[in-house]
This record gives sequence, C-alpha cells and structure tokens, in this order.
Amino acid sequence: MRQAKSKIRISKAASYRAPDRVGVLFVTLGVFLVMATGATAKKEPPSPASMSTQKQLALVRVNVTGQAYDYFRPWQKKAPFSKRALGAVLSKGRVLVTADLVANQNYVELERAESGEKTAAKVEVIDYEANLALLEPTDKAFLDGITPLDIAPDTVVGDRLAAWQLEPTGALLATEGLVTTVQMTQYPIEVGQFLTYRISIPMQYRENSYTVPLVKNNKLAGLLLRYDSRSQLLDAIPAPIITHFLKEAESRNYRGFPSAGFSFFPTRDPELRDFAGEKGKGGGVYVTNVEPNMPAMKGGLQVGDIVTAVANNEIDQNGNYVDPLYGKIEFTNLLTAHAYSGDVVPFRIQRSGKPMELNVTLEHRDAKDYVSPPYNLDQPPAYYVLGGVIFQELSRQYLKEWGLNWQREAPQRLVYFDRFQSELFPEGNRRVVILSQVLPANTTIGYDDLAYLTVTRVNGKEIKSLADLADAVKQPIEGFIKIETEEDPKQIELDAAQVAAEAPVLQENYGISALHRLD
Amino acid sequence: MLNGERIEHVSSVGTRFAPKAFGADCDLIFDHSVQFFRLSPMKRALIFVCIGLLAGSTSTFYAQQSAPAASPVEPQAPPPAISGRPSPPAQAVVPVPVPIAPPKPNGPIQKSLVRITATAVEPDYKAPWNSGGIQRGVGAGFVISGNRILTNAHVVSNSRYLTVEREGDPNKYPATVQFVAHDCDLALITVSAPDFFKNMLSLKLGGIPALESTVSAYGYPIGGERMSVTTGIVSRIDFQLYTHSSVDQHLAIQISAQINPGNSGGPVMQNAKVVGVAFQGYSGDVAQGVAYMIPTPVINRFLKDISNGVYGKYVDLGITFSKLQNPAQRRFLGLKDDDRGVLVSTVVAAGPSAEVLRPGDVLLAIDDHPIASDSNVELEGERADFQEVVERKFNGDSVKFDVWRDKQPITVTIKLYTPWPYLIQGHSYDVRPRYVLYGGLLFQPLNLDLLEAYRPTDLRLRHFFEYFVLEQLYLQHPDVIVLTNILPDPINTYLAPYRGGIVDEINGKKIRRLDELANAFAENADHFVIRMIGDGPPLVLDRNRVESARERIKARYNVLKEQNLEEQPVPKTTEDQKKI
Repeated sequence: MRQAKSKIRISKAASYRAPDRVGVLFVTLGVFLVMATGATAKKEPPSPASMSTQKQLALVRVNVTGQAYDYFRPWQKKAPFSKRALGAVLSKGRVLVTADLVANQNYVELERAESGEKTAAKVEVIDYEANLALLEPTDKAFLDGITPLDIAPDTVVGDRLAAWQLEPTGALLATEGLVTTVQMTQYPIEVGQFLTYRISIPMQYRENSYTVPLVKNNKLAGLLLRYDSRSQLLDAIPAPIITHFLKEAESRNYRGFPSAGFSFFPTRDPELRDFAGEKGKGGGVYVTNVEPNMPAMKGGLQVGDIVTAVANNEIDQNGNYVDPLYGKIEFTNLLTAHAYSGDVVPFRIQRSGKPMELNVTLEHRDAKDYVSPPYNLDQPPAYYVLGGVIFQELSRQYLKEWGLNWQREAPQRLVYFDRFQSELFPEGNRRVVILSQVLPANTTIGYDDLAYLTVTRVNGKEIKSLADLADAVKQPIEGFIKIETEEDPKQIELDAAQVAAEAPVLQENYGISALHRLD
Repeated sequence: MLNGERIEHVSSVGTRFAPKAFGADCDLIFDHSVQFFRLSPMKRALIFVCIGLLAGSTSTFYAQQSAPAASPVEPQAPPPAISGRPSPPAQAVVPVPVPIAPPKPNGPIQKSLVRITATAVEPDYKAPWNSGGIQRGVGAGFVISGNRILTNAHVVSNSRYLTVEREGDPNKYPATVQFVAHDCDLALITVSAPDFFKNMLSLKLGGIPALESTVSAYGYPIGGERMSVTTGIVSRIDFQLYTHSSVDQHLAIQISAQINPGNSGGPVMQNAKVVGVAFQGYSGDVAQGVAYMIPTPVINRFLKDISNGVYGKYVDLGITFSKLQNPAQRRFLGLKDDDRGVLVSTVVAAGPSAEVLRPGDVLLAIDDHPIASDSNVELEGERADFQEVVERKFNGDSVKFDVWRDKQPITVTIKLYTPWPYLIQGHSYDVRPRYVLYGGLLFQPLNLDLLEAYRPTDLRLRHFFEYFVLEQLYLQHPDVIVLTNILPDPINTYLAPYRGGIVDEINGKKIRRLDELANAFAENADHFVIRMIGDGPPLVLDRNRVESARERIKARYNVLKEQNLEEQPVPKTTEDQKKI
C-alpha cells in the first residue's frame, strides 16, 4: 500500500520521469515513509509529530508561477517557473510562506490539502531579507474550518521539531529532528545576521519543496530555510523572527528588520584591547567601520570604540551576550529579533578607556539605499539601450545572474565593487552605471567586445545613476554621444542621429520591447 | 584570506604547457622513477627522458633515424626504411610510418646540438628563508658563433649547476650561464673546457620562414640521450604570450612539428639555417599539433642586446590602446575615413610615454610606418602589430609617433625603457624572494609567484594584482605588502584573522615598500599599530613582547634569516620612480 501511494505521489510530483526511474525512486521513498511514519506511530508517549491526527491540518498547498527578470536582456522576463510548497495557516486567514517561494510571482494559488479545492491568493507582506511572506486567499472563506497554528517561541537546543509535509491524499507526513544549534547566520539574501535553528533531520528534500513548517507541540516553531541532504542538516527561520515579522506586518506600513550600520571585531587580542584603551578583562567588541548616514553613526558611534553592552546586555570579547533562552549568542540578535525599526537602543561603549552611553535609533536599510543594491525582486531592472550599447546599474541581483558561484564566476571587477562598495563609494547615494554589453549593430562596429565597463561620464556629465545617463544622452556634443569609462578603452562615441534612426531596426532585430526603463 | 583553495587566475598560463602544463602528469612518473628529486614544473624534460627509457628507447631510435621529411608525414606511408642500423628488438617497436625523404637537408645537426642538464633550486615562497626544492631537468641547445650555446631561459632558470653533453662524446662538461633573458625565454651558456667547441659546428641564423614551408625541430624529447627530429610546417606567425614570464608578448611562430618537453632550447631548422628555437606548446588536451618557436627577429634582438655585455630587457611604451574601427568615433575625433590610427586609452605613469602621450591621442604612424585602425603596420612586406617596431628597439632608443591630438597633427618622440610595474605580474627567476618576518608575521610583496604559491581567494588581493598597472596602484603601493602567513607563537595567537591583509601604514606612517616596513619595525616604539587597507581592525604588536619572542620563533621554525630586502629590488633610481 505504501509503495502504491508513493508511486502516485512521485508521478504527480515529477510526471516527466520515465517509469523505470519512478520505480527506483519509490523504493527509496518507501523506505523513507516507513521510517517517518514508523517513528511517529511507535513512539510512546506520542511525539509532537504524532499529533497529526487532528481533522484539519493547518497546512495548505501553495502553487506559485512566476517569472524572474532577465538581467542579461533586461527588457524581458525569463521563462516562467512553477514551485509547489506548503503554507502554514495562521490566525486571521493568513498563510505564512518563505519570501523565496513567492518572489517574482505572477500567480499564487492556495490548495486545500484534503479536498483539492483551490483559490487564488495575493502576497500581503513580503520581507526578502528575513525570507518571509504572508499570503491571503481572495476567497475569504477558503480557510474556514482550519484551526490556525499558534507560534511556539521557546525552542531551544535539544528540542525535537517535526517537519510537516503532505501526502498526496492530504494526510500528514511528519519527520522528526533534533535542534542542535541556535545561532546567528546569513539568510540567502545576505543582508544582516538572523537567528537560525539548525536541526539534524533525515528529510527527503525534493525539488519544489520550498516552505516546510517545523512544528513543536502543534505550534509553529519555524520554517525551512535550507537543507543539506548530505549532512542532513536543516536550517530554519525560527519563531522569534516569524513573530517579529508578524508583529510588524500588523502595522500598515511594513518597515522591515532594523540594522545599526557598523562592523565589529572580537577583542580577544590583549594588544588590541590595550590599544583601544580597554584595561582588564572586560568584554566588548571593537568597532571597525561605521557606515555613513546609518543609525550607529547618527547615534555617535565611532571607529575604535569598544561596544560593551547593547540594550543593557553585556557583550563578551567574542561579541556574545547571554540570552535567557539560548545562552551565549551573538549580540546582533538583540538588534534584529528583539528590536524594531524606530526603537532607541542604548549602547554602552568604551572610547579611549572612558565609558560612554549612546542611544542608537534603529532603522531599516532599504535595498535601494545601497550603492549596489543587495537584491531586487518583483521589480523590473532599470536599463538603457543606446544604439546597441546596454547600460545597467550594478546590483548584486545582476551579479547573481552568473549563478550560485557568482562570486567567482561574475566579472571580478564588478564583484569587487559590490563587495567593497561602502569603502569605494563612501559618499553613498549613488549607483554604479555599467556598460554591461554591446549588441552588434551599425552603430557599434568596433565596440562588439566591450562589456562590464563602469561609466564615469556621458557627454561630459558625471554619471551616478541611469537617470543621470538618460539626461546626459539628450545633450550630444556636436551630434555625438561621448561615453567615458573607468576602464579601457576610456571613451567611445556614438552618432546621435544614427542611434535614433536605427533604433527601430535594433529593436526589431533583438526583440527589444522598450529601449529603456528607469526607476 | 589566504588559503589553499584554487582560484581562477587571470593569467592565461593555465592552458599552455610551456613551462607549466605537463607538471601534473609528470609528477607521478617522476616520483616512480627518480625519487630523490621533487618535480619541477619547469624541468619537464627530464620526466620525458624517463618515460622514454621506460617505454623503450627503440622508438626514439626510429625517430632519430628518420630523416626530416620534405612533406608532412602521410598516414599511408610504407613502414620505415632504415639503412645501416641493426633492427631494434621487435617487441618494443611501434611501427611508425615514415616517408622517404631527401637525406639530411639541414646538415650534420649532431655537431651543433647539445643536451643540457640543469640542476635548479626553486625559491620557496611559503618559507622564503629556505633555499627551496632541488630539481633537475633536461633541455636542448645549439652552438652559435663565438663558442656560445643558445637555449631557452627556462632550461637554465634558477640553475645552480649545468652540464652539457654532445653526441658521440661520453663526457659531461660543466657549463655556465652567460646571459639570460627571461622576458623572451632565451639564454646563452658556454663551456670552459678548452676542446669542447673544437669539433662543434656553429649554426647560422636564417630569417622568418614562409607560411606552409617545412621546418625540422631537433632536441631530446621523450626519451633519451640521442637526438630526435620532428618535422612540420609553419602554421602561423603572430604575437604570443611567452609563458616563461607569462607577462611578455612577442612574435612567435606556430609550427606543426611535434614539440615536447626536452625539445626546449633546440633549433628549428630550414635549409640548414636556424629559423627558430622551440620553446612552448599546448598540452595535448587543449590543442594538438600546436607548437611555438622563438623566431629569429627575437633571437637577433637578444644577441644584439647583449653585445654590450649586459642584457637590457625589452622596452615597452607603457600604454594601452584601442582600435579605431567605429565610423562615428572616427568622425568624432576628426579623423579621415582612411582606416588609420589607434586610440591611446591608458598611459602608464611609470612608463616612457608618460607626459608624452595622453589618453585620447590617436597614433597615426610609428617611425613613419602608417598604423592601420586595427593596430597593424607593414614591416618588410608583412603585416604586424605596430608594437613590433618597438619590440626591435633597445633601452635608450627612441621611437617617433605621428599623433592626432585635439584634431591637430603633432609628432612626438619617446625615449624607450622598461616600465617596472609590469614585472610583478610575471614570473621572476634567479632571485631570492623578498620578505620580512617579524613576530612570526610573514610579510611579502605581491607578485605572480606569490599568488601561485598561496593561491589566495581574497578579492582585494586579486584586484591589487590585476589592476596594479592599469589603475596605477603602484603609485601608492610600489610594493603591495601582504601579511601572507603567521608562524604561531603566543605573541601572535589572536592574529590569524589578519592574514591576507595588505599593509597600509605602521604607527601612522605610510608603508610603500618592503624596506620601509623593515625600517618601521626597527624603530624604538612601544607598540606597532599596523593598519591594513580596508575596514579591518588595526593589528597591534607590543615591541618588547615581539623582541623577546624573536629568537624563540627563529629557533622553533628554523628560520635562518628574518628578512631579505634586496635580491629583487624595486628600482629606486630609474626615471619612472621620480614621478611617484
């Protein structure tokens, strides 16, 4: 029976597979199911996972069709993708999923697990940095009869959490795992540090398994963030981050997780402590960088200060405070999970050996406030096509077009600009405009090989955004558009009249729907 | 951070074998046959000698006997026609089809060819106070006028002991290097034994062979002590990267004759004259039948350069340029529609064109040779890159340019020399690496050899290396001083995160060169506060603690010498330095 079930399940999930491969697969899956259900059925007393006997699971299927923007052909979108996942039903008719799942969505559909009933849904709130999103069904009655999940905020190391997945029948498939670590890590968007549960769990993580809820005592403890099938380690977005997100989502104007805008370094080295004027064995971290116009700078924090306490929590030499729940954990948790944008957080510091107190008013830093924005989802990229020459603004989203290994595969000079942006462009409040590629045309003869150049001036005017470029090209020099670049060849020129005259042909040849799109 | 991970280097050495690509394959073979020496990537020749011996010297014997063919080997040719030699043992023979060809059109090459065995000590950039691994390799060379032997620089680089053998003579003759030119991979060696050259014939240099004409390569590839000959045709004449330095590009001739390790330094002949020196090729998995020889213009330039007793190196304009093929750009610059001129993009401040040429200048002619918009000039009936004109000149020579500047024609003259900043981007040989070891912290100047030794993944280090010249980073950091390694000791136990950092200043003073770093540490201060480039924290050293640990660290890690500042000095007195 189990094997038959799994077979259906596989062929549904991966209908393109050849029958013989399905055979191979369902054997392994069968084993997996035996393990999973066996564990839950035999365990005495019943583990949290076995509480699945409730009538209406607080889970819905979420089917997403989306299209990402094509940064190499920024006037168009890539081929559509579809993802299938699970959503956790929360109170007030909301469904919680990861932002990853619904980023760049065109259409989101909810599906009742037991009946297969479907309805369209819309994304109410999305936080790409914390990787969370709230969906709401268009049919308000769609979730009727489902008892929503409460949040279990108190998971600690040693707890067992159940990963909830669904059988094709709508029955629960639960796998149990052990929380091995609670720590601060970077989420996929790589902005800031967030609390993360690490769970050792033998899950069969299939393609399109995006949002898997993790449950403790029938309450939501976390959402799957990433899973490594080799080490069988799962990272989960923990309940405190979910709670933070939900609380903030209540307000009309979602602001996002706060950041302070400084970098720090441990003070274990006695020479460094001595240099910073810190005598004795006290704790604290050394401030290595304070970003311009960010909360820490506005609050008066300086490079060379030693931060000894944040929000009245003492910080040790490694940068950890003692959390009542988790024990020692990095103090950045105090600034993300515990604090909200707009909160005033007291900092105790040592400056040249003198203790001081500072108040830092936390703010969320928008992606658009970076020189090279760390992400750009659900938004079309800006570009400007000028006679076959394509201009774009440098962003990490653009660099990620080189794939998972973008840090090595993407043009290294651009990766360097992105990585060291606050050092290279301390004034901020600008973009790096790049000549990203050249489409061969009459106007670009001899320029075909140019790519990944940074544009400094156009027609003599300094370029700090595509908008600057759009303005500057309107004022040709004696009929020519002169583009100056940081790298060789340093300058190229286009004939303004020829560019205009040949634009229709260019658009026709390369299928360019619009020659430019600005923010 | 510096670590053992591989990184993709910008330098294109990867795919070419010249001194490199056979290294990996050879490792094993070498270890099996001669366990005493560690493999040198450079000395691949010896490895192939070993293979040859193992695989059966008979095949080499065949190769030696087959006279150079007038035409490429035909697959359907009859079995080898051998005269005057006993047949080799049958079981080891792989029948090689050899066409019947006129006998030895190049004369008795045996009387000119020598087999060079070099024992080299390669520097160890990870422990620069050590002398490094001892390696041995074999290459070829040939006698030219004046009792001199011409070979490749990579055959004799870093050598501590050289011997030379010749056909039909059981003796090994000690030899010495007279001149070595690492930028064009040529060297002259000589043998002091009085009678050595008596029965040797010196070879004459020819010109550039015509495309498709047949050439023969002589040397000691893949097997042994007897000369081998291969033939092929001239496939292409073009500028190529010389992988020995891996930063220099000169004219090179691609030939289809098989060239393998052991051919290096051997003559490539046509009509009894030398038309090139075999020196590099692609490894078989990249491209087959692609080998390169150093053509006679490069050889002649080398021989002329050393005629005053010193090798003066290639000179360079120190500019980058772009082709001027876009009609709109030509009209913008006010140029005629005559397909002439290239655009100056970057002028290297430490080069001879600084303050003579400017970005935006158009170079119309070089020494009255018109420069086409694709950067070619016509030289002796052949089209070649205009830089070939500069290639043939020497340190102190001048070159004249017709320049189009601000829509006006002007003429400029540039007195040529070798801009130094390029040198860190190439391999260096015959030098001891520079370093300073202080408190267990190893500081070394960034260069290609350092990068290849540590293979750092650090983005900033790679940026400083790649853009050292083009972004003129050398103006601020003539030495890019990297904290490459830390020899662990209680005084530096917390300093591991600083590894890979580039030193910017010490106690508030900018550190531009390695000797300035050494001087800074020699000062009588309580603390040394070392600032690295970027946002990191300062690295703080307590002088008294370091001083008390010095002998301990030296003894524990067997450090013979705590610094080496001079062996590869950055030039301090040349004209370019004044501009910094």
